[in-house]
Amino acid sequence: MTQLTSQERVNRALTRQDHDRVPRHESFWGETITRWKDEGLSGDAQTVLDMLGSDFHGLCWVWPCIFPGQDTLIEEDAQTRVVRDSQGKRVRYWKEKSGTPEHLGFECSSRDVWERTFKPALLDTGLQLDPDAVKRNYRQGRSKKLWCHLTGVESFEETRSLMGDEITLMAMVEDPEWVRDVSRTFTDQALRNFDAAMATGIQPDGLWIYGDMAYNHATMCSPEMYRELIWPDHKRLADWAHAHNMKFIYHTDGDINGVMDLYVKAGFDCLQPLEAKAGVDIRKLCPKYGRELAFFGNIDVMKMATNDLAAIEEEIKVKFAAGMATKGYIYHSDHSVPPQVSWHTYQAIIRMVKNYGHYA
Amino acid sequence: MVEVDLNSLTLAIGKGNRAEAVRLTKQAIEAATPPAQVLAAMVAAMDDVGRKFQCNQVFVPEMLIAARAMRESMALLEPLLVKAGIKPEFTAVIGTVQGDLHDIGKNLVAMMWKGANFGVVDLGSNVPAEKFIAAAREHKAKVVGLSALLTTTMPAMKQTVLALKAADLPGLKVVIGGAPITESFAREIGADGFAADAAGAVDTARRLVAAA
Repeated sequence: MTQLTSQERVNRALTRQDHDRVPRHESFWGETITRWKDEGLSGDAQTVLDMLGSDFHGLCWVWPCIFPGQDTLIEEDAQTRVVRDSQGKRVRYWKEKSGTPEHLGFECSSRDVWERTFKPALLDTGLQLDPDAVKRNYRQGRSKKLWCHLTGVESFEETRSLMGDEITLMAMVEDPEWVRDVSRTFTDQALRNFDAAMATGIQPDGLWIYGDMAYNHATMCSPEMYRELIWPDHKRLADWAHAHNMKFIYHTDGDINGVMDLYVKAGFDCLQPLEAKAGVDIRKLCPKYGRELAFFGNIDVMKMATNDLAAIEEEIKVKFAAGMATKGYIYHSDHSVPPQVSWHTYQAIIRMVKNYGHYA
Repeated sequence: MVEVDLNSLTLAIGKGNRAEAVRLTKQAIEAATPPAQVLAAMVAAMDDVGRKFQCNQVFVPEMLIAARAMRESMALLEPLLVKAGIKPEFTAVIGTVQGDLHDIGKNLVAMMWKGANFGVVDLGSNVPAEKFIAAAREHKAKVVGLSALLTTTMPAMKQTVLALKAADLPGLKVVIGGAPITESFAREIGADGFAADAAGAVDTARRLVAAA
């Protein structure tokens, strides 16, 4: 087959049509790029993505906050800083390292506080994206014929970010209508921002939504609870994408095996990054769901971290074979490439991805 | 004397019904039920929650409300346990390793360990190896639990295990867990045990202490 553009290639993968090669993208921890620079990488993460041949181009990052731009430094030491962030929670960040921040306290700790303060404040926020920047990014992506996507965060992630894991998860049992209201309100806000992006006259290829709803053992809540409280808003996002002639990619870490049918029912087009160490395996998913879904990722970062090239090659070979059999596979690690992976190893991974990713 | 239904207490905690659990605990105390029996009913509830959690019959939300019901009931019982000389099975120290600020997994394990009647010393997140060693020594811990969420902090977990093993802490068992952690990694770095989830951490700690 003649060489396709990135846009054509990804669109075909997402609809399981013939294409020339497996589309590619990747994520890295900040420390990984720092290590690779020490080991000879000349450039940054984008340089590595260019070497890999990434087919994706993000246009914006929509993460509606209650108090946008109002992050306040509370205290700091040599390594960390404590901030009251734009969701009204206190978090501790590393100064020099990436990673999940420590949650120290949540102001939105009850339904009353939500209804009295936080919900009105959220509804009062204006647009939280710059339409002109979206348009510029779009022109840039189109000039390179890349697969252009709007990017944002879904309501479960937003709710946990606002109220913390414990308050959110207990409220899902004890006050489900509160969680529905928070989820619905955040989704309304996200869609308002995406509508504003579309009003600039762009026609992106997809909507890529982030929200971790699972961990290494299971989903954070039961499939029934997900179906009742969060899924309606996931479906709204997928429906919105489809109504605008876009595909819908959903990112979640963790073991999602128990909710796959709900993803299909919501009309998701693709799942990413399919965390292998949480028991997600495209060799099992492709035969069962390969007609309805495309799969994006699943190359085990723990195998990458061994720097054992033979083991990594086997991982890529078998997972590519499973994914390519459906014509609906896109390369990505199963999370983010960690700093245990050497630059030498990652350059070999790029060669392997290119080698095994060609359709006959 | 009021008839005390400890099975109902077990059920109330298991369902996370804290008002009912507290009411039944008060009733049991007023009826002078031996504190050890009340404690056994509570621990049975959390054991059952743990079993159901491991086979996905309950999930984190249900586990959290059960642990809260247990905690509130336990607060009423604790003075009587102290008076009766009933101590936790053993003491366990827990924390997230240095460099890792995330703590939900560690918190769930701490809750389940408390629910299993272990004495729990929670050191929080971003804990250096020396602090684990000092706490294990001070509290005469039988178990130290190390948590890591990120692949980037797995090397810190290895360093912590090595430091704990090098310290003069005879009989101390080290259990590790967290999103990127596997049984083979536990073996590789010399940890005594691995827990795939919060409920598994109870079984692992009990097994290791029993075998010591």
